[in-house]
Amino acid sequence: MEYRSQKIAYWYFAAALPLFALQILLGLYLAYSYTWTVPQSVVDVFPFATARAMHTNLLVLWMLLGFMGGTYYIVPEETKSEIYSEKLAWFQLFALLATGVAALVGFLLGWTQGRPLLEIPTPLDIVVVVGALVFLFNVAMTMIKANRWTAIQGTLLGGLVFLALLYLFGIPFYRNEVIDWYYWWWVIHLWVEGAWELVTAAIFAFVLMKLTGVERQVVEKWLYVEIGLFLFTGIAGTGHHYYWIGAPRYWLWVGGIFSALEPVPILLMLIDTMHHVKERQTKIVNPLTWTYAVGCAIYHMIGAGVWGFLHTLPQINYYTHGSQVTVSHGHLAFFGAYALLNLMTFYYAMPKIRGIEVYDDSRGKYGFWIMSVAMMLIGLFFGVAGVIQSYVERVMGMGYMTAQSYMRLWMGAVFFTGLTFLAGVLLTVTDLLTLRPAKVRA
Amino acid sequence: MTKKVAFWIFLLGTVSSAVLFLAATWDTHRQVAVLSNVDKLDDRVVAGKRAFEKYNCNDCHTILGFGAYYAPDLTRVTQRIGDDGIRFAVQQPEKAFANSWRKMPNLRVTEAETADMIAFFRWVNEVNNNDWPPQDSKKRLSRGEQAMVTSAGVSPGAAVFQTKGCMNCHSLHGTGGTFGPALDHVGRKMTMEQIEHYVQDPKSVNPKSQMPPQKELSARELEEVAKFLSSLK
Repeated sequence: MEYRSQKIAYWYFAAALPLFALQILLGLYLAYSYTWTVPQSVVDVFPFATARAMHTNLLVLWMLLGFMGGTYYIVPEETKSEIYSEKLAWFQLFALLATGVAALVGFLLGWTQGRPLLEIPTPLDIVVVVGALVFLFNVAMTMIKANRWTAIQGTLLGGLVFLALLYLFGIPFYRNEVIDWYYWWWVIHLWVEGAWELVTAAIFAFVLMKLTGVERQVVEKWLYVEIGLFLFTGIAGTGHHYYWIGAPRYWLWVGGIFSALEPVPILLMLIDTMHHVKERQTKIVNPLTWTYAVGCAIYHMIGAGVWGFLHTLPQINYYTHGSQVTVSHGHLAFFGAYALLNLMTFYYAMPKIRGIEVYDDSRGKYGFWIMSVAMMLIGLFFGVAGVIQSYVERVMGMGYMTAQSYMRLWMGAVFFTGLTFLAGVLLTVTDLLTLRPAKVRA
Repeated sequence: MTKKVAFWIFLLGTVSSAVLFLAATWDTHRQVAVLSNVDKLDDRVVAGKRAFEKYNCNDCHTILGFGAYYAPDLTRVTQRIGDDGIRFAVQQPEKAFANSWRKMPNLRVTEAETADMIAFFRWVNEVNNNDWPPQDSKKRLSRGEQAMVTSAGVSPGAAVFQTKGCMNCHSLHGTGGTFGPALDHVGRKMTMEQIEHYVQDPKSVNPKSQMPPQKELSARELEEVAKFLSSLK
C-alpha cells in the first residue's frame, strides 16, 4: 500500500465477504427446494421466489462492493494521489450496505418490484443511484485533480459510468411486457457483457501489470484490443436475448452472429494473461494470487466463453432457452469471470493494506481448489439437468413436472456439491479476513 | 501493432456495434406494436402485469423464458390450462398442487387481481415471439406422430387419429371401437370445418353426443385430423 486512502478498500472487501457466504447459504436452500418437497406451510411464508431474490441480489451487492473497493485501491496508485474524499467513500459504503440490508429485509416482507434480479423497489433504487453518483464523483474528481490519465483509469471510469447509466433503464415501470424485457437486458446483459467486463478488464490489467512487471505500454495495448472486442461483440450480442420475446426476426441473425464471436475477447484475455505470466519480469511472491489470476482467466473462458457459446445459436437456444442449461451457464460464468476476479483482487490488495508482504496461503490454497472444483461440478450437474429438461419438456412435450422428476437426481447432486462449495467459501472468507504473514522458511 | 492502432480498434469496434444496436432498437420499437398486439394492451392487462410483479411470480416462473426456472413457463399458460385453470392455481394452490411434490405458495391474491392477471396472460399468449416455447407450439406434432409420418408414410392426420385415442371409440374399415360411430365415410357427411368444430365441442352440434371435447389437441393436430377425416368419402 502506497497511499493512505487505499485503506478504505479493505472495508469494502471485508463487507463483501460475509455477503458472499450468505449468498451461498441461500443458494443451498434453492437447490434443496428443487430436490425435495418443501411443505406448503413453509412455502407460504418463505417462497422459493424470496430466497431466489436474496440469492441473486446478494451476488450483485457483494460483487459491486468488490468492484468499488478494487477501484478505491487502484485509483490512488494509478493517479499517484490520494482519493478525492475519504469521507464520501465511507458515506457511500454505508449507504450501499444500508440499502442492501433494507432490500433483503424487504424481500422477506414481500416488498419487491417483482422483476427478476431487479427486485429492489423504486425508493431504494434512488438511494442506489445517489450512492453511485457519489462514487463516480469521488473517483472522477480524483482522476481529474491528478490529471495523469492512463488507459487503465479511462477504462475503469468508462466502465463505471456505463454501469451506472445502464442501471437507470431498470427503474421505470413498462406497460408492455415485451419492451420491459427489452430494456431489462440493457441492465443485465450490458452489465455482465459490457460494463462489468470493462471494470474487470481494467482491474485485471492493473493486477497483472503489478504482478508480472510487464511494461505498461504492452498491458494497455492489449487492454484496448480486448475491451474493443468485448464491446463490439457484447453490445450487438444483446440480441441473443431477443430471440423469443416478440422482437423482430432479424434479432436471430444479429444475436446469433455477434454472440458467436463473444468468446474471442475472452480467449484473447486468456492468451495475453499466459503470455504476460511467461514473460514476467518479477519473482512470484504470493503464489496464490497468481493462481487466482490464471484460474480466473481460464474459468472465465470456460464459463462465459464456451458455455455461453454452446447455447447461444438460435437453433439450439429454441430448446434450451429458460432451462437449467441457462442456470449452468450463469453459475460457471459468474464464478469464473466475476467471483474469481474479485477474490483475486482481495488476495492481491488485502495483504498489502494489512502490511503483509508474503502471506500464509496454506488455508487459502484449499479454499481456491475446493471452490473451483465444486463449482465446475455444479455447472456440469446443472448442465445435465438442463439437457434432460430441454429434451423431455421441449422436444418430447412431456410436461414441466415430468421433466423435473427426471432432473431431481442431478439437482440433488448440485445440493451436495453445494455443501462442499460452501465449505470452500467459508475457508476462503475466513482466510481473507484473518490473513497472517507466512512463516519464514530457512 | 502500436498502442494507437489498438485504440482505434477499440473505438471502431465499440462505435460500429453501438450504432447497429441503437438502429435496431429504434426499428424494434417501430415493429413491436404489431408483434405484441398493442391495440389489445389495455389497462386491465397492465393491472395484471402489476399484480404479476407485486407477488414476485417471476422469481419462480419464467415468462417468455426469463425469470426463475422453478415453475412452468407462463408464456402460453392461457392456451395450456385456460382462465379457470389459472384462477384455481393462483387462488387455491394448496388444492391445485396437493399431489405435487413441488408446492406453490398461497399469496392471498385477490379475486380482482387474479382476473387482471388472467387478462395479462391472455395478452402475453398472443405475442408473436417466433413460436417459443416449443412444447406449446401450435405448429407442433408430437414425437410419436412425427415418427409415423416419416417412417410409416402415414399422413399427419392419420397419425393423430391413431395416437390420440380416437380408435378407442371409432372404427375405420372394421378396426377400432364400437362405442362411437364408424367413420369410414364421414367425409361425405361433414366438411373439414364442420369436423374441426365438432371435435372441439360435440355437444354444441349434437346435444346428445357422448363424445368428450378434444381440448388437448394442438391447433396443427386438429387441422390435420379434420383434413384426414374429411377425405374419407
